[in-house]
Amino acid sequence: MSDAHDERGERASAAEPPASVTRRTVVGATVGLFGAGYTGAIGYPIYCYLNTPVARAEEAAKVTQVSPAGGRQLPPGAGMGFMFGTRPAVLIHHPDGTWSAFDAICTHLGCTVKYEPDKDRIFCACHLGTYNARTGEPTSGPPPRALTQYHVEVKDDEVIVSRS
Amino acid sequence: MNYPAWDVPVIGSGLVIAAIAIFHVMISHFAVGGGLFLPMAERYALKSGRRDWLEFLPRYSKFFLILTGVFGAVSGVGIWFSIGLASPEGTSSLIHNFVFGWAIEWVFFLVELTTAAVYYYTWGRIPDKLHLQVGWLYAGASFATLVIINGILTFMLTPGQSWLDVAGTGEEPTRFFAAFFNPTYFPSLALRTLSCIALAGVWALVVGSRIDAQQHPQLKTDWIRWTTWWLVPGFVLMPLCLFWYIKMVPGSQLELIQLGISTIGTGTFTQVTRTLLVSVMASATILAVVYLAAYRKPVDFQIGYALAILLLGVAATGSAEMSRELLRKPYVVVDYMYSNGVRQVATGTQEPRQELERFNTAGYLADTIWATPDEKSLWTEGPRTAPPDSASPAENAVLAQGELMFRGQCLACHTRDGYRGMQRLLHERNEQAIRNILTMLHTPQEDSPYRAFMPPLAGTGLEIDALCAYLDQLAHPPVAPAD
Amino acid sequence: MTRSSSPAVERSWRSRLWDFCDERLGLAELLELSRHKMVPQHAHSFWYYLGGISLFFFAIQVLTGMLLLVYFQPGPSAYESVRRITYDIDFGWLIRSAHSWSANLMVLALLAHMFSVALMKAYRKPREFGWWTGLGLLGLTMTFGFSGYLLPMDELAFFATKVGLEIPASVPLVGPLLAGLIRGGPNVDANTIQRFFTLHVVVLPVLFVLGLTLHLYLVQRHGNAVPPGEEAKPDSTRRYIKFFPDFFVKDLAMWLIALNLLGLLVCLFPWQLGTQADPAAAAPDGVHPEWYFMAPFQLLKVLGSWLPGAVGELAGMLIFAVGGIVWGILPLIDRSSDHPRAARFGTWFTWGTIAFVAGLTAWGYLAL
Repeated sequence: MSDAHDERGERASAAEPPASVTRRTVVGATVGLFGAGYTGAIGYPIYCYLNTPVARAEEAAKVTQVSPAGGRQLPPGAGMGFMFGTRPAVLIHHPDGTWSAFDAICTHLGCTVKYEPDKDRIFCACHLGTYNARTGEPTSGPPPRALTQYHVEVKDDEVIVSRS
Repeated sequence: MNYPAWDVPVIGSGLVIAAIAIFHVMISHFAVGGGLFLPMAERYALKSGRRDWLEFLPRYSKFFLILTGVFGAVSGVGIWFSIGLASPEGTSSLIHNFVFGWAIEWVFFLVELTTAAVYYYTWGRIPDKLHLQVGWLYAGASFATLVIINGILTFMLTPGQSWLDVAGTGEEPTRFFAAFFNPTYFPSLALRTLSCIALAGVWALVVGSRIDAQQHPQLKTDWIRWTTWWLVPGFVLMPLCLFWYIKMVPGSQLELIQLGISTIGTGTFTQVTRTLLVSVMASATILAVVYLAAYRKPVDFQIGYALAILLLGVAATGSAEMSRELLRKPYVVVDYMYSNGVRQVATGTQEPRQELERFNTAGYLADTIWATPDEKSLWTEGPRTAPPDSASPAENAVLAQGELMFRGQCLACHTRDGYRGMQRLLHERNEQAIRNILTMLHTPQEDSPYRAFMPPLAGTGLEIDALCAYLDQLAHPPVAPAD
Repeated sequence: MTRSSSPAVERSWRSRLWDFCDERLGLAELLELSRHKMVPQHAHSFWYYLGGISLFFFAIQVLTGMLLLVYFQPGPSAYESVRRITYDIDFGWLIRSAHSWSANLMVLALLAHMFSVALMKAYRKPREFGWWTGLGLLGLTMTFGFSGYLLPMDELAFFATKVGLEIPASVPLVGPLLAGLIRGGPNVDANTIQRFFTLHVVVLPVLFVLGLTLHLYLVQRHGNAVPPGEEAKPDSTRRYIKFFPDFFVKDLAMWLIALNLLGLLVCLFPWQLGTQADPAAAAPDGVHPEWYFMAPFQLLKVLGSWLPGAVGELAGMLIFAVGGIVWGILPLIDRSSDHPRAARFGTWFTWGTIAFVAGLTAWGYLAL
């Protein structure tokens, strides 16, 4: 197999230029493919890394307000999750009738948080971080920063959550 | 809890299995791929009348015989030893289902070992044609061992609905073939066959690097060029087969990969995605490295490079096997048995209820044989969380009960102070926080991130209290006053 | 080769571009030079790749380091900015882990490079300056490591820096002064980060690039040394391969392997960030500096407990100073194979150093 291969290669370079071109093309294409693969595998993370603030800003600018489906029917002392654009968010109807809404991505490692009515707090199950259910300030566990708070406007038939 | 727990300090039982298994896979896949490689090489040498190849092949087959017949066989038995200790319930299930499969496996295994020895010792002593036939017989037998073990390995990830329908009724053997030729059987067989062929090439490169280039330049050049081609089928076809394989994996298990890919940007993505990435990256690079270091100028190819290529092969194979194992979380057998050995479906016609439910009501430790009735009687009452400085028998009993819970349900994956160590995971959490986690594991919510990779915690409230007390004491050991 | 400038011949854009560059940069000469460069081929030639591997890891350090600079903030917000890189910025974990892991791999490759060079006796005439610049580069690399380790300002970094500074602080007479200057105050705080940062991203890179240029120039000028056993062989049996493309292509393959190893470590063991450093908190158990400082750290620790007070520190410093000086002047002691006693001393001293450093490091980890 190898002998035949070598012979072919020698003959090709000596007398048959077309075959040589084909072989060169194959090698060239393989090298190109490898190069493109590695460039992509290294370039893409670097692009994302440098682009993060831009992407985050665009994401933030895209949606300014949403009306969570079924938000108005939420009884007092209950919370529900909804999507604010591409990010999960949590809407809370406090027992005293007031409303709050927060970004639901834990500021520690990015798990989704949830409202716990019995303890009146927002809780992240991943590392047991807790936040104040009215201000979003971290109260215990590892979270370093407060959750982003949204502005809530209650109308007759819907609840409008917007960027404050 | 019918079996003792295997307590491996620091590294944990899982890593012991992983170390043995990766070592074994590197060799056993070579045994299968090399089974094809040897007769192919011999046929090539005979056909083209290469005397130098025919002189070199016996040396090569000696290396092959020793590596596969000794290290491969011993490490294969080592896997069964270690999994039997680490997950006795799971191993017992496999044996009960596939005892017939294993019987066949052992037949082929004996044929394999015998023909490998005959093949080596009859070089130049029997007619060439007959010798080549022995080689083909070896190839067939060794491939058959892969055909069989592949059924048992893939069963754990995708047992198939047909088998799950009868699981726990005692009728399981009637679905033997459905369980054996399960959804991932064929893609996995294709992937493993390709990997066998590629590893045969890698090992032949290792041996080829030892050929003295000054004495046999032609032999070295041809051998290395010829073996390089063995890496090509895997390189071309493996991506397709991987795609096919992933297609057949149930959605609930794929969640782990998808979660990993969607969160890959931020540092929280799953281990299975990471190992899969490593495996893809290393496999994609091997051929390039072989081309640059070996194929271009075979006479300059030295052992150091060959070992580096072998290392890449270990990285690719090891991480592929690891991602396959991680993909099964939180099960030993998907949808049937959790990684803590608790069965999800009924354990027999006598007891139609779920095992998990029975443990939760009657107690995980109710039937344990690792505590005397006297000890058990202490568990029903007394303080559930004793202060660490007191040494009352009741407290010791609680801690002992907690330790039994730990051994039964945590030790299969976690260690006390090493790999996935409890001290590291829990030391920043107070007793209440530990209790929160245990409660969450006991009553897993659909959206809990732990549900995807940790089994439900089985046991009564008192048992979970005891586990909590034990873990709290483990995470915050009482400090000696002199310190 | 194609130095023709006759415009009559229709030429492809490629050869025109080549000519344009070649006439101005002298590329053909360089190519010609690299064609003649030969690398000896023998049983130990695998070790020749280690210098290239170290260089590769350095290149990764430069690339990932520049990327980290995009988001890192020295001073009081250091911890928060590293936390953001690790957990918030897309692929920040990857860049940071690659930086940390390749730093460790670079030190490892450099140590292997140094010891293999010593055992091959590649420090002998005329390569003494290669040896000295190499030692300088190793020193700079370790300073890189030490200064970079503090920058995240998590608990581990804080205490590792604190205990690591015990080494310069134990220098007789000027030790405390030196440690104070390094810290920028009596304690490790935001001032320390600021000056470590300056060191890490400005001072050391400039020095390193200068040293590296000299080192590579010397390697190019004198070529690869062959071990004495190989040198003793008659010329006719010695073999060489072309640097370009044969050796270079293998270098490339080695870099691919190194990149894969790095990818493996980064993906399977991404670098974590501990809790924020709290100067008032008690040091966690078993605090120790990075592994490549373990040997001096352990020696000081052991001698400090055997000998009373400053005497122990003095003894430790003395051992390292004398050992380091002998290590540095090794090329002057062991000059050629004509002096068998000196040659034997060189060999034994190298093995002794390897055993001493490896032993102390292992002891240090066992004693944690």
